[in-house]
Amino acid sequence: MVKREEIVHAANLIKIDLEDHEKYIEQVEKILNYFDILDKASPESESFVIQEMPLDKLRDDKYVPFNEKLITQLKNYKETFVKAPKMI
Amino acid sequence: MNLGITATQYLEQVKNGSLTVEEFIAKTMERIKKVEGSIHAYISLNDDAISQAKQIDKKLKAKEKVGSCLGMPISIKDNICAKGMKTTCASKMLENFVAPYDATVVSNLKSQDAIITGKTNLDEFAMGISTEFSYFGPSRNPWNADYVPGGSSGGSAVSVSALECIASLGSDTGGSVRNPASFCSVVGLKPTYGLVSRYGLISYANSIEQVGPIARTVEDTAFILNIISGIDTHDNTTIDKGKTDYTKDLDAGIDGKRIGIISEMIGEGVDKQVASATSKAISKLQSLGAKCSEISLDSVKYSVATYYTIAATEAGSNLARYDNIRYGFDFDVEGYEFNAYISKARKNFGPEVTRRMILGAFVPSAGYVGKYFLKALKVRSKIKSEIEQAFKKFDLLFAPTVPVLPFKIGEKIDDPLSLYLLDINTIVANLSGIPAISIPYEIAQGLPIGMQLFANSMQEKTLLQAAHALEKTTNLPGVPI
Repeated sequence: MVKREEIVHAANLIKIDLEDHEKYIEQVEKILNYFDILDKASPESESFVIQEMPLDKLRDDKYVPFNEKLITQLKNYKETFVKAPKMI
Repeated sequence: MNLGITATQYLEQVKNGSLTVEEFIAKTMERIKKVEGSIHAYISLNDDAISQAKQIDKKLKAKEKVGSCLGMPISIKDNICAKGMKTTCASKMLENFVAPYDATVVSNLKSQDAIITGKTNLDEFAMGISTEFSYFGPSRNPWNADYVPGGSSGGSAVSVSALECIASLGSDTGGSVRNPASFCSVVGLKPTYGLVSRYGLISYANSIEQVGPIARTVEDTAFILNIISGIDTHDNTTIDKGKTDYTKDLDAGIDGKRIGIISEMIGEGVDKQVASATSKAISKLQSLGAKCSEISLDSVKYSVATYYTIAATEAGSNLARYDNIRYGFDFDVEGYEFNAYISKARKNFGPEVTRRMILGAFVPSAGYVGKYFLKALKVRSKIKSEIEQAFKKFDLLFAPTVPVLPFKIGEKIDDPLSLYLLDINTIVANLSGIPAISIPYEIAQGLPIGMQLFANSMQEKTLLQAAHALEKTTNLPGVPI
């Protein structure tokens, strides 16, 4: 059984503030309960395939300059810097 | 002027001079302005469409080389980048984002002189099957505006169905091209994973999503697939299989083809009218010479949990980048500490995206990764292996695209799990990477029902031939709007 505080903790990890979101917690709990069906699945083996990309298939690691005006498409910048909130 | 012509008819008429690109585009844009208030297919329009049409007419008149689309109006789902146009993903988090480059599929279409009519509505970040989760409001079904058009590429399917363009590009992560195609009575194809470039498609679940065409006929779908498929150096998951002409030999028929009817997709939970249409379609396939028999795919019952576990995990990672600092909505950084600002900004994701991100953070987390995420990856391997076995016995697989008829707007919005479960007939193709197509088959109580065919990886040609054969057995009414 999943604990509610664990769901809130997971949300905090991805920077989502769930303080007033009781409805989300209930819905996520219900969905996770449904996911328990995976306990009944019996995979043929304990292995699984993940996508791997051999190094020789990667494109060349070359610097390709983009349009220098690209930064003007950002909503908050000064010269060539992005303006962000203060860290402390 | 008939805006309901197919791509093939459009090309013939432009070639023989009975139609100019400008008049067709102008009428299309007029039509969009007329019907958008009631169906809301588009998020933004291309204001330069008519001047682009004039340019193509000029080239045609001067007998200069013109690309194979000859100015055909095509809409693009708003999670696919088109240079200089807003690409919002139907989210407040990207409401002011203007794409600085073209997705490969868009540059392919432009290089063939297609005209982009505009960017179409979707469930926010392509998460949903009803287009109700768009920040800009829902799209509506042209067959009955009280009903959902399906999703997440709802706007794309509506735009083709309601004669606001000739074809469209959507993206299909768990059925997002096929589901709205079925609900709006148009054709929708999810290609083999790797056949079409994802460069410029804003990522949701990279390991399963594909861009796919939506069109009025199977032949039109094949025409668009010819243009958008192929290897791309910008997407190293694309596969080099050389160029295939998917429009060639479409009339090959299905005589002697072995078609497996997936038992788990035609029984429990399938609406009576969908079940009846399915039986009729199977009889038609048999009358065309196909050998149909049932096949059980045991893992289908675990596919919804598997799909949502994997898709949510990838979504959680992909959407972590949206912090509203570089682009997004108007919200000043002054007076905020870094983390507080980001948390506050990220509260502006809509409800479905928020739910999936929470799930996506939870299912691969320490203590639960084995129970959910790793288990889902193992079940995915099992699904792939069952599908491989099935294609040793059959050339094609078959099932209705969606187990139910289109439902009313608002009817299921507060029960996300009930919406997830409606994906059961489409997600197997995404989890296994195989191609699948939805073909309009029947109109019941004024609402469309689509049938779905699956083929083995890279067997789009066989798939389109079978779909074309089934399509020819139907005689459907025109859209009422």
